[in-house]
Amino acid sequence: MTQQHTERGGLAARFRREAPTTQAESELAISIHGLTKTFGDFTAVDGIDLDVPRGQVFGFLGPNGSGKTTTIRMLTGNLRPQGGRARVLGEDVIRHPDRVQRRIGYMSQKFSLFEDMTVDENLKFYAGVYDLSAEQFARQREYILAMADLTGREDELTRNLSVGWRQRLALGAATIHEPELLFLDEPTSGVDPVARRQFWDLLYELAGRGVTLFVTTHYMDEAAHCNRLAFIYRGRIIASGSPSEIRDEHFERRIFAISSADNEAALSWLEHADGISEAYLSGASLRAVMPASSALQPEQLAAALAAAGVPATVSATEPSIEDVFLSLVAQQR
Amino acid sequence: MSLKRIRLLIWKEFTQLRRDPMLIRLLMLMPVLQLVMFGYVVAADVGNLTTAVVDLDHSATSAKLEATFAGSKYFNIVAHPASESELRPLLDRGVVTVAVVIPEGTQDRLITGQTASIGVVVDGSDSQISAIGSGYASQIIAGFNSDLRDAAGVNLSPPAVDARIRVMFNPTMDPVNTMIPGLIAVIMMISLMAILSQAVVKERESGTLEQMFVTPIKAEEYLIGKVTPYAVLATAQMLVVAVVGMLWFRVPFNGNIWAVLTGLALFMLTNIGLGLFVSLVSRTRQQAQQAMAFLMIPTMILSGFIFPIESMPALIQPITKLLPMTWALIVLRNSFVKGSDFGALVVPLVVLAGFALVIFTAAVIATRRRISD
Repeated sequence: MTQQHTERGGLAARFRREAPTTQAESELAISIHGLTKTFGDFTAVDGIDLDVPRGQVFGFLGPNGSGKTTTIRMLTGNLRPQGGRARVLGEDVIRHPDRVQRRIGYMSQKFSLFEDMTVDENLKFYAGVYDLSAEQFARQREYILAMADLTGREDELTRNLSVGWRQRLALGAATIHEPELLFLDEPTSGVDPVARRQFWDLLYELAGRGVTLFVTTHYMDEAAHCNRLAFIYRGRIIASGSPSEIRDEHFERRIFAISSADNEAALSWLEHADGISEAYLSGASLRAVMPASSALQPEQLAAALAAAGVPATVSATEPSIEDVFLSLVAQQR
Repeated sequence: MSLKRIRLLIWKEFTQLRRDPMLIRLLMLMPVLQLVMFGYVVAADVGNLTTAVVDLDHSATSAKLEATFAGSKYFNIVAHPASESELRPLLDRGVVTVAVVIPEGTQDRLITGQTASIGVVVDGSDSQISAIGSGYASQIIAGFNSDLRDAAGVNLSPPAVDARIRVMFNPTMDPVNTMIPGLIAVIMMISLMAILSQAVVKERESGTLEQMFVTPIKAEEYLIGKVTPYAVLATAQMLVVAVVGMLWFRVPFNGNIWAVLTGLALFMLTNIGLGLFVSLVSRTRQQAQQAMAFLMIPTMILSGFIFPIESMPALIQPITKLLPMTWALIVLRNSFVKGSDFGALVVPLVVLAGFALVIFTAAVIATRRRISD
């Protein structure tokens, strides 16, 4: 008996030696060092480092194909990286995905519900998968139905629900086991702005209960909802920190908002104008970026545009997260 | 592995199946439709072949031989050309499909103990009819031969009449007896390969596969949960074919039931493996369908299910040995028709076990590795 104990202790100690966890690491929800994944010649994720503190809404931003989904799949234990370390909730997820899987949740942009099953059947399935007790299931079911506004529609097939309801139900199914960490891969793509807003309210509610949220999105306005951000571009992290840190650190330049009846003409003029380092379309208006040292005033630029035959209104503006991101991407190129 | 999770996955699969009434109807209708097609259409017997008799011998023997042909239900004598040159236009115009040529001196040769040759000419434009027609003709001549011998009161003499065309075919074996046992294997292949691969690919398309592998569900639990419902369905379909085949089409079963079940179980594992491979290489359900068609057509044509392997070119014949279906058909047909037992079926059973081991194991390993890709 004693010997057995020693053996177990020895084994556990060996594990610790193999993959030591520092105190700091176990306090983090996610801790990644040098994580790399290649598919053939293509490097999807190129040695990234990332720390995500517990209890935060962490935004993982980047254009399509930049490595966001690949990173999530490695962090959920679905894909083996070629190199690097990844700790999720203090466990080595690459070696022991099973130790992590019960404690994390995952929701993809496809919402991943069984469309030919009813609301109730979907919930029953995921409750069974996570081995919830009857009481736990009853409690969670009631909570999710209320949260997703589906009380009374339990027997409807999920394929007949409209997208906002499906999205909330998917969130409920993904959190039925009350995970400590929830991965959301573009959870709002293809959802109308009102439903997106409602969905973020739900995410805040989860965060308020102490759940760490790891959210990828390419909607830059959603980045403002996050406590911390990381920008990934072509498999590398090009900036990280809180939204204001990122703005301060990576954007020491001046920016003007320009609106014109003929944005295209204005844009092509700006791209070649002296003193303008970058110009791009942002929503319905244009942005012009100048070095911090530039003394150009909005009125001067407006006059120059008018002289070029493109009358426009110009005003100085604060850079948005999108401006920062576009400027960072332009620097990478 | 958790039995509870496997049960949950099986429940989920059946719930989804229930929501697809079209698929259920197709699955239940398929064996019935195939029984009708293969039982009545493909296996239909050839009878009343239009026949010409060219009697150049004009003897009692030749008259007796002609009467034997006329007496069989397979041949309908419609013409008596005076010479072989007159026969040709009849065949060309399709007036007759079979001709029997009795050369001059046939009776004299038989009386003097020599061998006489009878010519049988068949219209080869329809290979099925020509094969069956020449087969029946040989059969009748062989029967005539033994009557002659009996009449002479000797058994020792070599065959006196020799039919020039010999096609391996046994008209006493009803084609239904070989078609329906074969159908059992074909139904299993379609149900398991096609429907299983569709079900897996559908799950990948909808993203639920990806979702499930973030949960504690293990790859092997998923596989068992996925395969079991379709194995049950395929078994039900095979039972329908076997029962209808034996009760309605009166296919005899003389073999060892355990030998048949062993063969079917091994063949089932092989098909599950093939279905998984199809789902691995297919990103969409359309691709899975194409891959299925790619595998099904050569299997149906080369396995001997419709066309006998013996009639295939020598170059093709070794290829047929590479198809698991070929061996499954041997087990099934020999069990039903010949009543072969384990001993007689050792070779096909061992080959099937080899296929099952290699294909199933490789498919499970590959699926486990790439299941969520």
